[in-house]
Order: sequence, then C-alpha cells, then structure tokens
Amino acid sequence: MNYLQANLCLLCVTFCWSTEVVIFACIPDAVSPFAVTSITFLVGGALLFLAFGRRIATGLRADRKKQLLRCLWISVINAGYNTLYQFGLADFDVSTGAFTLSLTVVTMPFILLLMRSRVGWRTWLSSGIVLAGILFAMVGVMSRAQLPGLSIIAIGCVMRAYYIIKLNQYAREHDPVVLSALICVSGGVVSYFFWMAVQPNTFMGIPWSPVVIATLAIYSFFVVALAITLNVFAQRRATPANATIIYSTEIVFSVILGAVLPSSLIDPVHLTPFLVVGVVCVVVGNLIEILDPGKMRNKGEEAVT
Amino acid sequence: MKKWKTLLALFLVYFIVAVPFRVMGVIPGFTDVRPVALLGPIYAVFFGVPGCWVMAVGNLVMDAVGGSLRWSSIPGFAANFLGPYLIYWLCVRRAKKPFSLRTGRELLKHCWIILLSAALQTVLITPAVAWIYPEVDAGFFALIVMLNDTAFPIVFGIPIMILLQEELGFRPLTKEKEMIV
Repeated sequence: MNYLQANLCLLCVTFCWSTEVVIFACIPDAVSPFAVTSITFLVGGALLFLAFGRRIATGLRADRKKQLLRCLWISVINAGYNTLYQFGLADFDVSTGAFTLSLTVVTMPFILLLMRSRVGWRTWLSSGIVLAGILFAMVGVMSRAQLPGLSIIAIGCVMRAYYIIKLNQYAREHDPVVLSALICVSGGVVSYFFWMAVQPNTFMGIPWSPVVIATLAIYSFFVVALAITLNVFAQRRATPANATIIYSTEIVFSVILGAVLPSSLIDPVHLTPFLVVGVVCVVVGNLIEILDPGKMRNKGEEAVT
Repeated sequence: MKKWKTLLALFLVYFIVAVPFRVMGVIPGFTDVRPVALLGPIYAVFFGVPGCWVMAVGNLVMDAVGGSLRWSSIPGFAANFLGPYLIYWLCVRRAKKPFSLRTGRELLKHCWIILLSAALQTVLITPAVAWIYPEVDAGFFALIVMLNDTAFPIVFGIPIMILLQEELGFRPLTKEKEMIV
C-alpha cells in the first residue's frame, strides 16, 4: 500500500465512522451505546478470527503477552475518550459537536512535540487551517454555558491523539491483522464492563428484533471489522498527524449526511455561511496534508517497485 | 483453495453483506439501498466469470427469499452478471497491463470502468422494469440503480481491493491466469 492508497483507505474509514449516526438511528434508545460497542466489537473480532484464524494464531506465537497488553491499553484509552465525548457532547447540537471533536487535529502536533517527534510545517499549516474551520463553525453558536462540555471534549481529544500515535506505532511493529482482531476483542471486553455498570442485565436488556440484529450486523462489518482493519493497515503507511487530519473529514461527511438525509434518521444540519466556511477550511487543510508533492513522488517510486 | 470452496466462500460473503440490508430498511423511502454492489468489481477482478455468476445468482436468491421474485428479476439477473462481466472484460481480458490501483491515473480509470458497468446495468434493468411496472417512476429507479452501482463500488470497493491486493496477498486475474469452473 502506498501513500495515496493509505490516504484513500483512511478516507474510507472516516466515511464508515460518519455513517454511525445513521446506523444508530435504527437502534432503539433502550440499547446502551456500550452494548452496541461491546457486541459489535466482539462480532467484528469473531469475523476477523474466522477469516484469518491461521494468520492470527501464527502472529500471536511471538510476543503474545506484549501484543495483548498493548491492545488492552489502547482499548482502555479508546473507551475512555469515547466516554468523555459522550458526556461533553451532551452540551452541543450534532453539527457543532462534530466540529469540537476535530480538536484532535489541533492537539496532535503538540502531543507529538511533547513526545519529541518531528512535526513538519505542512502539518502545522493544515492543523491551523482546520482549527480556523472549527472556530468559524462555532462562531455565534457557542455560549459560555458550553465551556465545561468543551473542556471535557478537549481532554478526550488529547487522549484520542495519544491513542492514534500509539496505534500508529503498534501498527508498524505488529501484524496488522492480529492487531485489528485483538483491538476488536479487547475493545468488546472493555466495553462489556461499562455496559454491565449501566445495564446489569446486559444481553437480556436488549429488545431483540430482526432489525436490531441486522443493524448490529451491519455495524460489525462496516464500522468495526472493515474500518479497523483498513485503519490499521493504512496507519503503517501514514503518520499520526496525517491520519488525524484525514479523520477530520468526518465533519464534512456528517454535514453532507445531515443536509441530505431525512430528519427521521439524523438531526438536520442547517447550512449557515459560517458552517460552509468551516467545512471548506477542513477540506483545504486536508488537501494540503494529503497532496504532499514529496510523498507523492515517493508514491510513484513505490509504484515502480 | 479448491474451486468449489472458493465459490462457497464468495456466496457466503455475498449473503453476509446482503441479508442485513434486506432486513433493515436503512433509509425509509429508499428501500433499495444495496451496498452488496461493492462486491461486483472485487469478484470480477479477483475471481473472474465465477465471481460474476455469484453476483447474478446471489441477487436472484435474495429476490426469491425476500419475496420480490418477479418478471423484472430476469433482466436483474442478466444485469447483475453482465455488469461485473464488463469490469472483468475491461480489467482482465482487454487490459494491456496487470490490474493495479497504485496511481491516480489507475484509480480514475477504474472509476470510469465502474461507471460504465453501472450504466450498463441501469440500461438493462430500467426499461424492463418500466415496461412490466408502468406505475414505477423509471427516472428515479434508474437513479437508484446508478447510485448503488457506482457509490458503493467506489467508496468501499476500491479500498477493499487495495487491501486485498497490496496487503492480503490476493492476486487479480490476468489473461494467462484465470479461474475456470
């Protein structure tokens, strides 16, 4: 996979994530988000074990304990920032909330600097433009009462930036298929404990129906098994900053889905000039990062080899 | 892997993707959202004619099981075979170079081929549906078929093909190496 292909895969992953809201709309409110995460991650992991069982078994022979601990660690971080997002987002509407989540783009270069990694000027420029987009989108809709929510989301974004850096590091060190399967399983197990805390009767508390089962199945294939596997493989070729900036296109997809899909499925997005400028800034920031002539040249060389 | 095992696996994957979307009306009023269309180019390029047959038979089985087996299923069967077959023909039989999605030019070319295949399927199914069911809005129906057969193969199909070819060791068919059932 070359640089261009990795970016396309990351865009696909981001699109899969942005469809979450549509899929969630088909799940009754009685089903806890932790239940959805736990079940879909475990099913996604089972699918990966089914498809790549032999490869996973071989991959686990070396450094089994290290891989398991690492996956458990990033799953805990994942569960942590998702929980913070849930609390923080309660203060925002859908479109503004989506923009606040992109603060990860802004925190990422600083976390990288703290970890003594080099950050290129292109990344700083992209992050700056995406930040400008976030600020534009929030002009006029942000109030002082939302500051606690924003602070919680900002902490979540710092954790997510750390998660992406660690995932990027582990993806380069381990077999991506093994890593994807273990992330699914450990994510499912960690979420199960959260699920038990909020809904002690767990599986019995779900109003099972063909639609709920079909919805969970779709979520397991596309948002979990496919997206996680593509993400881990793409992370081997992308930098954490590069990946984070591409993830920020989730806002663009969310705004488009919110503007196009019926209000029964997703809270409608009212396109204001500020929102449009915000989205344009995010797209421009992404293009600056993705269309890096130096890396595109490397891509051509890789294509020859 | 033996040929019958490959076919079985192709059918299994087809139904795993198709069945949940039949049960769940993803978008009310847009009942015919078919992400399973993403498999068409993948099956055509990596598995050839047997892959095209899986797409056609799978669609027919879904129609039968879903209670929508009608006269329009016949052109549907033909379109679901010929659409992927066109991709196979252009990417394998008529291709001057081995299939690859490594450069922008190759990606664009593949998108064009997907568009052609979707247009062929639309042209095959829409007139038949409009003739058999005059009450159906043919323009809207054609739009849905076109969207299904372009959006899913491009948005999901291309990244999956990249993953299969570049990272998971699947080799696209070439004129010399083809799977014959």
